[in-house]
Amino acid sequence: MKGRSTVARAALVYLASIAAAFAVTMILVAALGFSPWRALRTLVTTSFRTSFGFEETLKKTVPLIFTTYAFTIPFMIKFFNIGAWGQMLFGGTITAVVALTAGETGLPGVILIPLLLTTGMVAGGAIAVVSGVLKTRYGINPIISTIMSNYLAIQFLNFVATAGPFRDPTEGHPMTRRLIAAATIRSWGIVPQAVVPALIASVVVYLMIRHTRLGYEITAIGYNERSARVYGINFNRTLLLTFLIGGALAGLGGTIEVISTQRRLIEGFATTSGAQFGMFGIVNALIVNANPIAIPISAFLMSVLLVGADALQRTMQVPVEAVLLSQALAVLFVVVTRERLRSR
Amino acid sequence: MVGFSSILGQIIIYTTIYSLVALGIVIAGRTGVFNVGGEGIMLTAASTGFMTAYFSGSWLSGYFVAALTGMALGLMLVLVHEYLRVNQFVIGIVMVIFGAGLSDLLYKIIVGVRLQAPRAPRVPLIRIPGVSTVPVLRALFNHDPIVYFMYAATAIAWWFFYRTKIGLETRAIGELPQAADVVGVHVRRRRIIATAVGSSLIGIAGAYLPIFVTGTYNPDLSAGRGFMAIGIAIFAGWRPQRAILGGFLFAAVEVLSFQLQLSVPGVPFQFFLMLPFASVLLIMVVFRRFIDFPASIGKPYHRE
Repeated sequence: MKGRSTVARAALVYLASIAAAFAVTMILVAALGFSPWRALRTLVTTSFRTSFGFEETLKKTVPLIFTTYAFTIPFMIKFFNIGAWGQMLFGGTITAVVALTAGETGLPGVILIPLLLTTGMVAGGAIAVVSGVLKTRYGINPIISTIMSNYLAIQFLNFVATAGPFRDPTEGHPMTRRLIAAATIRSWGIVPQAVVPALIASVVVYLMIRHTRLGYEITAIGYNERSARVYGINFNRTLLLTFLIGGALAGLGGTIEVISTQRRLIEGFATTSGAQFGMFGIVNALIVNANPIAIPISAFLMSVLLVGADALQRTMQVPVEAVLLSQALAVLFVVVTRERLRSR
Repeated sequence: MVGFSSILGQIIIYTTIYSLVALGIVIAGRTGVFNVGGEGIMLTAASTGFMTAYFSGSWLSGYFVAALTGMALGLMLVLVHEYLRVNQFVIGIVMVIFGAGLSDLLYKIIVGVRLQAPRAPRVPLIRIPGVSTVPVLRALFNHDPIVYFMYAATAIAWWFFYRTKIGLETRAIGELPQAADVVGVHVRRRRIIATAVGSSLIGIAGAYLPIFVTGTYNPDLSAGRGFMAIGIAIFAGWRPQRAILGGFLFAAVEVLSFQLQLSVPGVPFQFFLMLPFASVLLIMVVFRRFIDFPASIGKPYHRE
């Protein structure tokens, strides 16, 4: 009984947030002198009007799911991983390096793709664990260290794309050579193959949280850190594991972005769609309140908005920041509402 | 090679940005409010402050509006935290996203895309007779008004926290709000005032970039300095006098890595751009003994 009312309540908060996001966007759009109804139609229907739009939406959903988990898992023990952005970029960068190097050996896709997916997870997990160790060994707040690692990863990505042996000399804008076909994944019709790892990861995370010892320890620390320590839970170990898993998932998101969407590494990816994934991963996680089932659904809806926002900018010249702004307000609204409901 | 005085002068300019933001974070932090939204406040104030200065032709009114913008966002942060009990870090992060969107949106709507980027009005330099010609001191005292403002703000903050009774009470709020409350200090009011004042300093630092340092507005021009200032505030152990030292250290890293980039051609420039961020982590590891937090930081206060 109690369980059902919690779900209903979560859904209510969530629906209210979407309504609020739309309301704020529409008011903004109207205030800017554009037609709010046309804008609304563009925002909601762009993803569903063409098969290209739908595929684009799913391609945005997948990295967003991963960056959301990257924030969510450490957040379950009340730690802030603001570094999903950098972990994703680092995973993507190392993936591109490995793909371009290993691609020349002529390995078949059956071996190459799992290798690349693992590479991204290892790279993202490694850079996140550094932040974890800085916390457990030196007491440095992960908010700081993860943000700093974002900036390090951005420059590293730009370095790999701009300089050295990987750059494509025929392109004006700095980017690496195109990945060979065996190192990329495609789509089944309008469904990108990238949704498979995203769905598997969602199920695995859900099972981990609900049905493993680690998940139990994470939940226990989330409820009450002090008593969890008293009962013998190794806090530092759990903290490192949450950062490792979160970072690995973000890194996997970077791999998929590189092998599925871009099929090469492009300088400036960090500050365009890469920044969107980093930022909206946090937004998404805060909205769904770390509910592992709601994350993929919410990531899809958010991608619909992002694709719609791009179209809005193209067709109506509504600045894309209008949507960013309303998303931030929507989070604030959701968080406040949830807090009011809880304290009652 | 550029002269020593000119590099030192350049470092002082960047010190101003870092120190003012760090000072803003320190002032709020002393009452227990951890403002991690500095980056968003900087960006928004940079946008509003620059546009005001550009359209009015007065740099002073630009900084004034920037301070007001910072104050408004700071109030939003502290009021939502204190009255609606939302986690400070969550609001802070929301504030960053909000600020990143709002700053560019406002600029796009009001100024739009122009062939020639609008330039801020010229800011006069203030020279102190007798001091401004001495070689090293010249680099410290031959600057625009905001540099002097930063010196003054740091000195006043130090004097306030360590030499006045209200300052002592305010520090007590950060350590043990219950005790401060018992002796009659209005905890919430102090927190609100401190966050508003601190955020207005952050706003001024944000506007300093487009009005003086670059002269034009660009998206995302704070480039992570609002986050690095959090590192400075922590490194400074929440003391104003150390915040200016930390600001100087970080500014020196930034300016010197830029100089190195020009004089060491073999190394890809991206690695020099990494230096300031890497040194934040290094400095925090090295100086971790000095790091302590106000005990109540991050927690809303309720009388219960």
